[in-house]
Amino acid sequence: MWHKYPNPSSSHVTSVDVLDRTFDPKSGLVRTERIIGCKQNAPAWVIKLFGGSEQAFVREISFIDAANQTASITSMNLSLAQVATCYEQIQYSPASHDRTTFTQSAEIQARTSWRSVANGLENWLYARFQQNAQLGKAGFTDVLKRLWDERQLQLAGSSA
Amino acid sequence: MSQSLAPECTPLKHSYDACFNAWFEGYLEPAIAAGSNGGSGKNGSSAASPKAREEYSSKKAEEFEKNCGEVWRQYRSCVQGAVKEKGLDEMLKQAREDNPLKEPPLPSTSQSSSRS
Repeated sequence: MWHKYPNPSSSHVTSVDVLDRTFDPKSGLVRTERIIGCKQNAPAWVIKLFGGSEQAFVREISFIDAANQTASITSMNLSLAQVATCYEQIQYSPASHDRTTFTQSAEIQARTSWRSVANGLENWLYARFQQNAQLGKAGFTDVLKRLWDERQLQLAGSSA
Repeated sequence: MSQSLAPECTPLKHSYDACFNAWFEGYLEPAIAAGSNGGSGKNGSSAASPKAREEYSSKKAEEFEKNCGEVWRQYRSCVQGAVKEKGLDEMLKQAREDNPLKEPPLPSTSQSSSRS
């Protein structure tokens, strides 16, 4: 999962850093806090009104539970958080021995009391989420496929 | 491999990522092996007891410290410095206060949303 970036569907991601990572031997949980830099194509009027720049940052918290084979990823924008917030949650959990359940949700909220601006912002963010939700899953599926292929090659190599 | 937000931290980031990924793959190995056995009962240890699992995890934690502890601390302090320099530390502080997320969120918010 930490291999998610870079992938061909997320060329907007410019940097990925781990800020904090803890491993709890008791539960076997790995908690990771990352900061992800991306180029945002904010509409010109958003940048004009609220400042901010092309470069935006997102905070992401993930939990990997090896025993139960589940992963959860929560992310939220850091940049322009005083203007609008997007809080996204993703979960991967086993559905059966060869299937994985993927759930994704997001809460988007504009924090301005200026109604038409709030609506415009929410609409833009919602549209972006729709686009990127698809891309994110497609991108991660690409990454998993690459890891799977590498692994098969490794296995083939080591048994040859 | 992706970049760090600060170019000067990128080499440390790459070393740390490589070290962690190798460790993590090793850590997951028993789980994957147990899973791909498909419960054929080839080895009975696939359903490890909590105690055995904890022992294994502790051993793995020590191994991580030995292999990656030093590069992790170097990388972390480099990124922490850069985050401060870019003025991101205030935003992070606020986000951590709003959502500490110290525990994993409850599974699937879509069905069971009976909050009290």
